[in-house]
Amino acid sequence: MDIDDILREVDPASQSIPAETRDLQALTRAWVAERSSPELLRWPADGLFERVNDRIKQQIERVEEMTGDMDPKTNFALIVIQTELERFKYLVRSYLRARIAKIDQHTLHYLSSPDMRARLSETEQAYATRHQALLHNHYLSSFLSAFPPALQNLNDSAGNISMIDTPDTDTAVFIRLLKDSLVEGRGTDGDGIMDGKNGDIIILRWSDAKPLVDSGRAEVI
Amino acid sequence: MHGDLGNKLVQQAKRTQNLAHLPPYQTELVRAVTREVRDLDKDVAALLEPFQGSFHPTDDQAVACTLLVNHLSMRRNKRCLLAYHHTRTDKLEKLVWKGYDVVDLAGQQVGDGSVNAGGASNVANGDGSMNNLSPQEEDYVRQYSDLLAAYKGQWTDIDLTGSLEPPRDLFIDVRVLKDAGEIQTEYGQFYVRQGDVERLIAQGYLQKLS
Repeated sequence: MDIDDILREVDPASQSIPAETRDLQALTRAWVAERSSPELLRWPADGLFERVNDRIKQQIERVEEMTGDMDPKTNFALIVIQTELERFKYLVRSYLRARIAKIDQHTLHYLSSPDMRARLSETEQAYATRHQALLHNHYLSSFLSAFPPALQNLNDSAGNISMIDTPDTDTAVFIRLLKDSLVEGRGTDGDGIMDGKNGDIIILRWSDAKPLVDSGRAEVI
Repeated sequence: MHGDLGNKLVQQAKRTQNLAHLPPYQTELVRAVTREVRDLDKDVAALLEPFQGSFHPTDDQAVACTLLVNHLSMRRNKRCLLAYHHTRTDKLEKLVWKGYDVVDLAGQQVGDGSVNAGGASNVANGDGSMNNLSPQEEDYVRQYSDLLAAYKGQWTDIDLTGSLEPPRDLFIDVRVLKDAGEIQTEYGQFYVRQGDVERLIAQGYLQKLS
């Protein structure tokens, strides 16, 4: 049984599982989705990361308390807890790094509209704003300040080519349907519509997959 | 010929992408491309002057064509300069993320507090990339390191710059490659907790044995 099986077995809305387990599932889902989608996804608004962070803190304290104990039984438990802790930390780290990589690549795009900014967490917004300011300053002091004033901007769209690079929303992604739903996909030569069943795995353009993922009818894998 | 210099910059940038180290900053080239932009801008102003702001492209197609070429050349040069600088800052940022002391920050080591590496490390110095930076780039690296440190500070327990490989074993065997001074970890000397020594492996003091 691997992580996918575990994810498929549990419905995200199910309330019978303990909150801790649900948070781990949510974290794993967020991590998988963020790593496989070409665009930055919305930062989870329900305080998931605050909870995860608190629990990591608790476990670190617990490990410190238990370390003094020489009892072999505690020792074994300690190893299990620490291993699990490392995994947790890895998930969070990998998730955050995947997001930072996307933000760094298209900083101006994600800062350009309130709608885009809303996808970033507060810390990420601060990071992105500051990073962009640093870059602009660097360009200015390296060469841009010697340019004619009209050419000093970084967001020109003269000649119908915007200077702001955007993510390629036509990249192919794999999704798994969580509910039966109609899947529409645009192609180069023709468009297609199919009747998707729960559990189906489909490859299609991110721009077509996004509405399904946003409405919770599918997840990126 | 317009754009020749810009092309050289782009070639430099392309070359930089495939190099392990950062080649010297092309101060002269950057200055020359910038000068070309200024000269072109002057030409445009001079060409437009006799028309007193009432220039109609259809009346004088030769001038209109020159103006267009000048405009495009300026914008192209700008893009070349941006691409060149961005390729370099990208590389510098990567080094900062890896915890290298790109600019010698006088003992201010970018590292994990739990491991005492005994003296500041300066890996990037080994391939001489420090002397290859422009003063502006040195500033940029310093500021970016601060920014990253601030962002990392929000996630102290996770160690954002840690390994991106999924963890397998809690403890690993290591071989010591370089003297690193005294190292204290909670468990033993050569069978250590991976999280404790990750930084030392990245810096080349230790080698992980599988």
